[in-house]
Amino acid sequence: MTDRPGLAAHDITVSYGRHTVLDRVSLRVEPGETVGLRGPSGCGKSTLLRVLALLHRPDHGHVTLDGVAVTGARHTVPATTRIRIGVLFQNPRSAADPRLSLTDLIAEPLRAMHRPPDAVATRVAELAEATGLTTDLLRRQPHAVSDGQLQRACLARALAHHPDYLLCDEATTMLDASTQAHVAAVITDHQHRHNTGVILVTHDPALIHRWAHRIIDWPPTGT
Amino acid sequence: MTPTLAVDGLSVRFRLRDATVHAVTDLSLTLHRGELLAVVGESGCGKSVLAHAVLGLLPANATVTGTATLHPDGAPPVQLIGAGERQLRTLRGRYIGLVPQSPATSLTPVRTGRALLTETLRVHGRLPANADQVAEEAGLDPHDLDRYPFELSGGMAQRLATALALAPDPGVLLADEPTAGLDRPLVDHTLDLLRRRCDAGTAVLLITHDLTAARRVADTVAVMYASRIAEHRPADDLFAAPSHPYTAALLDALPDRAFRPIPGHPPMLTALPPGCPFAPRCTQADDACTALPTTTHGTACHHPLTPAGAA
Amino acid sequence: MAELTARRPLVRLRPGTRGAVLAASVLAAAILACLLVPLVWPLDESAVALNQINQPPSWAHPAGTDDLGRDVAHRTLYGLRVSLLVGAVAALVAALIGGAVGAIAGTVGGWTDRILMRIVDTVAALPHLLLGIFIVAMLRPSLGAVILSIGLTHWLSTARIVRAELLSLRTRPFIDAAVSGGASRWRVYTRHLLPHVLPRMALATTLMVPHAVWHETALSFLGLGLPPHLASLGNMINDGQRSLLTGAWWASLTPGAAIVVVTLAVAALAAHWRDRLDPRVRAELQL
Repeated sequence: MTDRPGLAAHDITVSYGRHTVLDRVSLRVEPGETVGLRGPSGCGKSTLLRVLALLHRPDHGHVTLDGVAVTGARHTVPATTRIRIGVLFQNPRSAADPRLSLTDLIAEPLRAMHRPPDAVATRVAELAEATGLTTDLLRRQPHAVSDGQLQRACLARALAHHPDYLLCDEATTMLDASTQAHVAAVITDHQHRHNTGVILVTHDPALIHRWAHRIIDWPPTGT
Repeated sequence: MTPTLAVDGLSVRFRLRDATVHAVTDLSLTLHRGELLAVVGESGCGKSVLAHAVLGLLPANATVTGTATLHPDGAPPVQLIGAGERQLRTLRGRYIGLVPQSPATSLTPVRTGRALLTETLRVHGRLPANADQVAEEAGLDPHDLDRYPFELSGGMAQRLATALALAPDPGVLLADEPTAGLDRPLVDHTLDLLRRRCDAGTAVLLITHDLTAARRVADTVAVMYASRIAEHRPADDLFAAPSHPYTAALLDALPDRAFRPIPGHPPMLTALPPGCPFAPRCTQADDACTALPTTTHGTACHHPLTPAGAA
Repeated sequence: MAELTARRPLVRLRPGTRGAVLAASVLAAAILACLLVPLVWPLDESAVALNQINQPPSWAHPAGTDDLGRDVAHRTLYGLRVSLLVGAVAALVAALIGGAVGAIAGTVGGWTDRILMRIVDTVAALPHLLLGIFIVAMLRPSLGAVILSIGLTHWLSTARIVRAELLSLRTRPFIDAAVSGGASRWRVYTRHLLPHVLPRMALATTLMVPHAVWHETALSFLGLGLPPHLASLGNMINDGQRSLLTGAWWASLTPGAAIVVVTLAVAALAAHWRDRLDPRVRAELQL
């Protein structure tokens, strides 16, 4: 298990008070593969994704990135490690700061890592083109764009740092068929170029069969 | 057969500070007893506004033109657009019901489900004792009726909202994205419930962006694009052989078909082009498309894919 | 074909916009008067005119004179200056204290949060005017003591508001997205959380100004506030009491009315601002 590439959760247990959300759950995603995670809502899938994204420290168990244990409370994990894992959430409205324009939204991860302004501008333009966002749309704030356009901006943001892994939590459930297909195409393209590992949480059987290389039913216990 | 609901030439515009939003433009459709019409389209195309316009629930900066005539059972026809608030209040609930989009915001948080349901039943002249029965039909365990809305999960709240809409047994039911954010089994249950109501005689207008849901239960489908109806045909015909290029492209985007996105993006409702709104993204477009197409055989297109008159 | 505007609003837009305009005009007039008075009509605080005691309102003295012959209207304007100034500064001090406490409680959480909130509850249980009197009595009565007294008793609501806002924002996905994108803790606080908290804090501070003015007035009325010869509204109401028995109602009523009108205007504007801040009222229409 040492130095094997991949993002893996090992025996993760998370409880809130007496309520156990995750009980010794394990999951692994390899570079370049798309893992579909299937199961009813409210059973802990979102919590597992947050643990894998290094946003939440589990009560027991640990997360390994390429064989190295990386668990910690949010800010004790170095930013250079955190940015290797991107997250895409279900509801773009609550995943986007309503005060920022789409440009600032997408540029935020780059600015947080102190990239020089011209590098930021170039990368934002690249991402906008990849996700089909025009300059006119980029200037707007979230309330002035549709859900589909906003989710594409969130996707651009998640891909800003060329993450090695992308975790999608019901990311296309609120989208129409065309936007969903577009989001899938952009993620797949990124995957081909950068060998990205993708975890896809969804309850749409057609989507999971079409998009995932490997399907896991909840709860996942194997590594 | 007289339609239960007849919408003719409906247009809704919103005045914003520096622009006008054309949410619905020149929309006409009919809904009959026992028919389930699904209005599908991407988010932002105006379909929710249609439901709110019919119910008279639009904000003050909305301008509505056109007619929407309701033909209730055993009562004279009523013109909904422009009807006074008092008249609309007698119609809402009893004759037209609404299953709203986000139940969390439409349930009174300080009353239990049972209190809300029995009140609804009593106001509309039905026996309050039926509360358990109505809840069960909507898939809600009667024990959960004694909880407050914040104690219910998203799915249970949606079932409660559905039960509240069904309780007065209206002749026309508008369902605005009733399955958004729900698990597949609950989506199917809600759709089947609407279908059962439909078979029992209710006219149902289902607004959704989920094509699979429409395919499951709809009798007819109206595809909306940029505030207009692009195609309005029987469901089986539409899914088997779509006539409008937008419908065909939308079906192609489904994961169980080509999973191919439509290039480009829809026009903003504040800046609709003069001709066919889909022309910039359409593979069939030519110079004729700079003029608005007329609707023939349910399709608003200069170059329909299926020859006119064919299935 | 009926062309008309739909009558029933889906969202109740702020009622009484006219009221807010009225309140704004009143407040603007009051502030303007306060600013101009020392330039146009300066007051000698210690001047008395013992030959004009307790004159009823007349053309020469629109609000009459008090029991030392001083023009009531003139002193009311000066008093308003002091009261508004003290009120504003004290509200700011309270906001800073409350903001700091709320921010620590909301971000650190855990035991720190619990302890801080119990402190808030304890202070809230004490009658704040008594506490204010206690504080002033500990220090020598002066402008600074008054400001501190108000500041230390009025920080509670700001603390609760800031803490609540932070707790609700911390779990939103957009904060997760920022952390995932590499934002440091400092950046999350300053770029993502603070901009959302500040508007509410500013509103709470504005809502506190009337309270601060009242508190100062009460302290001065009790003789624990500003030095008695200074024209502060509280002092004037206190002094005017003595004249009430002889029927000179104008000495107390004029400063009293000034407080009421100005604080109502501030409160009305703040309420209007609060309604506008409500995201549901403000949201653009979702189609």
